[in-house]
Amino acid sequence: MAALKRAVLLLLLSLYTAFAAGPFVWAAMLSLRTTTEIHRNHFAPPNPAHWDKFAEAWFTSNYGVYFTNSTQVVVSAVLLLTLVGSMAAHCLARYRFRFNRVIYFVLFSTIIFPPQITIISLFQILVQYGLYNSKLGLTLVYVAIQLPLTIYILESFFARIPSDLFDAARIDGYSDWEIFWRVSLPIALPAVATTVILNFILLWNEFLYAVVLITEEANRTLPLGIQRFIGDTQEDVGMIATGLMIAIIPVVVVYAFFSERLIQGMTAGAVK
Amino acid sequence: MAVVTLEKLTKFYDRGPLPAADAVSLEVQHGEFMVLLGPSGCGKTTTLRMIAGLESISSGTLSIDGRVVNHVPAKDRDIAMVFQSYALYPHMSVADNLAFGLRRRSIDRAEIGRRVAAVADTLGLTGLLQRKPHALSGGQRQRVALGRAIVRDPKVFLFDEPLSNLDASLRVSTRGEISKLHRRLGATMIYVTHDQVEAMTLGQRICIMNGGRVVQVGPPLEVYKRPLNTFVASFLGNPPMNLLPARVAEGKGRLSVKLGGELLELKQRQYSALPAGAAITLGIRPESIAAHASAGARERLAGVEAEIVQIESLGAETILAARIPGIESELVARVGPEVGASVGERRSLWLDLSAIHLFDATGALITADVGASPA
Amino acid sequence: MPVGHDQSLHQDGLRKPWATIGVFLLPSLTIYAAFTAYPAMRTIWNSFHRVLPRSDEPVGLANYAELLRDDIFWRSVRNTITWACTSPLIEVSVALLLALALYARVPGARFFRVAWFTPVLMSYVVVGILWLWIYNFDWGPVNVALRAVGLASWAKPWLGDPKTALPALIFVTSWMWVGFNMVVLLAALHSLPREVLEAAELDNCGWGGKLVFVILPLIRATLLNLIVLSFIGKMKIFDLVWITTKGNPLWATETVSTYVYKRAFEWTTFDLGYPSTIAALWFVIVLAAVLALTWLFRLRQKLEY
Repeated sequence: MAALKRAVLLLLLSLYTAFAAGPFVWAAMLSLRTTTEIHRNHFAPPNPAHWDKFAEAWFTSNYGVYFTNSTQVVVSAVLLLTLVGSMAAHCLARYRFRFNRVIYFVLFSTIIFPPQITIISLFQILVQYGLYNSKLGLTLVYVAIQLPLTIYILESFFARIPSDLFDAARIDGYSDWEIFWRVSLPIALPAVATTVILNFILLWNEFLYAVVLITEEANRTLPLGIQRFIGDTQEDVGMIATGLMIAIIPVVVVYAFFSERLIQGMTAGAVK
Repeated sequence: MAVVTLEKLTKFYDRGPLPAADAVSLEVQHGEFMVLLGPSGCGKTTTLRMIAGLESISSGTLSIDGRVVNHVPAKDRDIAMVFQSYALYPHMSVADNLAFGLRRRSIDRAEIGRRVAAVADTLGLTGLLQRKPHALSGGQRQRVALGRAIVRDPKVFLFDEPLSNLDASLRVSTRGEISKLHRRLGATMIYVTHDQVEAMTLGQRICIMNGGRVVQVGPPLEVYKRPLNTFVASFLGNPPMNLLPARVAEGKGRLSVKLGGELLELKQRQYSALPAGAAITLGIRPESIAAHASAGARERLAGVEAEIVQIESLGAETILAARIPGIESELVARVGPEVGASVGERRSLWLDLSAIHLFDATGALITADVGASPA
Repeated sequence: MPVGHDQSLHQDGLRKPWATIGVFLLPSLTIYAAFTAYPAMRTIWNSFHRVLPRSDEPVGLANYAELLRDDIFWRSVRNTITWACTSPLIEVSVALLLALALYARVPGARFFRVAWFTPVLMSYVVVGILWLWIYNFDWGPVNVALRAVGLASWAKPWLGDPKTALPALIFVTSWMWVGFNMVVLLAALHSLPREVLEAAELDNCGWGGKLVFVILPLIRATLLNLIVLSFIGKMKIFDLVWITTKGNPLWATETVSTYVYKRAFEWTTFDLGYPSTIAALWFVIVLAAVLALTWLFRLRQKLEY
């Protein structure tokens, strides 16, 4: 009886897994088939698998450009975020001064802000400073939007480091900056890794700010690039699917290696 | 009140090839207070949880009052348990914590009210009934956990190291409360602990476990005075029993034992089974060693020359550590406060021959021949 | 105050190292000020002006007055709030069921957990395109399956029918976020004190009893947290709608964020003042809603804990 219940449960859970992962599996299959093949039968497995479509998407459909742009913007933003965010988090966690909690609260509360409250003016500001339609402008905006979450995660971690370590470093004559660089950061490496992975994924997938602040083809990030192809009357499903795969694969790779860390990072604030 | 019978209870976990509990057999009598004692990992908690029904039994039989309960769910075994962490429902008040199990058993509301009030009164919880667990001190939570078990009026009480989370002074007073409780209710109680003081003071019988197996069962003083092996011998008693390597020597009719450079004649007992030259372990408790011996007492005592290496004066007594030449481990003695010794001094220490235990190479007790002249 | 604060790097007697603090905080605060604080304030300023390509005209509260009469705006508000209220309920309850299933120690729990979390990792763009295809009238799996089991009359252009478009999108976000909520709830379940559950077992609680009397009360805080998170997320939603329906058909899926974008960048007249008004008002509404929600939950929490 117990075995039967267990079997039914497993069946239901497997069905749900198909439901959750199915679309991606389908996309993967579609990415390896030509559009003609697809329209003949939308659900057949790739036969043969057209690996050259990836090259075609990369060069002819410009996905290579989008991928490169995304990489440049996201990597720069993440690096900057990590440096700037950890500095702020270290300071807020370990120094006691009057406006500490106020600053922390101000930075943290922006998580609730709907993007619309800043995006229109950001558009104006970037145009004004000649940063509109530029990767640099987008990078800076990306740093700004992920700063609250980064500081939140890192601050709580820094605060938990036993102060004995800092006292010992101080006695050993380390300066404030050295303490940050040689004590705080190395110890907080797990949390820093988490924010790096988290920021990478969130910014890699970011769409709204990109669509407002980038218009030129040469500067488009991946999400923008993909979006460009849909809605055409002659929708090239096969090519779009290949493009989707190009966008998904880095995320899947990161997830495959860091699933635990990523899951924990993304769910960090929610468990009480 | 019930008889709990364990027959070769064994528990295997998927993780390892060795059983956590190995053929544990024990019979707990009506109204008996049985203590399961042993170091961590010895299987005592596993055994208790099998009795409770919180762990499945891999093999063996568990019976309560003659009825086999291996497959009876925990809630139907008429058992109450006091957990190490108290396990109070954090979101319920003390009153609800006490009443919850009764409500779940569809007991009449008035009856529940009566029982809760009575138990709260006994344990001094009446003023705390509306508080939540987080607003209670450790000792108060402990009492609520006790109360929750009492209010159920079960056949068997199970305790899983209930005092280990309390500070020292609370532990002593709560120990007394549990003792009083047992005398009052007369219920069958099975109590798990690693603390030998708790075992000695609370138990009517102690079951010592090690490595998943039962090593010895018996009343506290009997287990203390007659340990069946070196494990039990060193587990009970503080400071622990001295276990010194020795060798059987050719004797003049009676057994002699070579202890380091000294030759001890065991005048009180015969050990005919021991061959000469056999390596044995000599055990003697610190309180059975004296620093002085009057001439008359020397009949019962054997003297050994030793060099004092440490003296700890505790006020009411003194703990001496001494080194017998030829033996690496120190001899620890418990003597009176006015011993007048100094570190580095070479003097004689007197071992009470009637309190000497001999253990063979495997650590098992070597029994003396029956009929030998008593001490 | 965080844990480290009582033993900060500098004792109270010494002078505070303002220079050091400044250095550490300056980059973050500068970026914050330049790209978050200032823009927010400027948007609010915009809302009181008509913002044209080369000039700004102050119009006082005219934009707000117009907003109150704007049917499309109120339609979008209705859509967004519907979304923000129904999504959390679906997402959290389904997630709870799945988490309980995994909590019961089903084999392969680790695999399921990883698999179910994947939708959350994907860009809304990817998700949007996939579901455009899934909902496709001619060859999308949904309609194909319906026709295959003889329910051809139920096959629809899900995203093209004003009555089904919004529910269809709500379904998509649920599909995405159930996995996330499930992972959080599973962690919360695993953190429940084992001995309390065992005590409940000894107190004659079966699975149902344990669920109602112990598990649910103890994970309440997490449940509420997830509901609030989901609510906030749906109040902000843009990407998915933009990729799939762009607010069509007939404003059935128009959300406040898509409407702002349209008024700002795709309207016949170029005026950034009016969309700023929408943004400012929406900002206030979201803040108020979040405060109300958390205050409401915290109040109930105080009463029970």
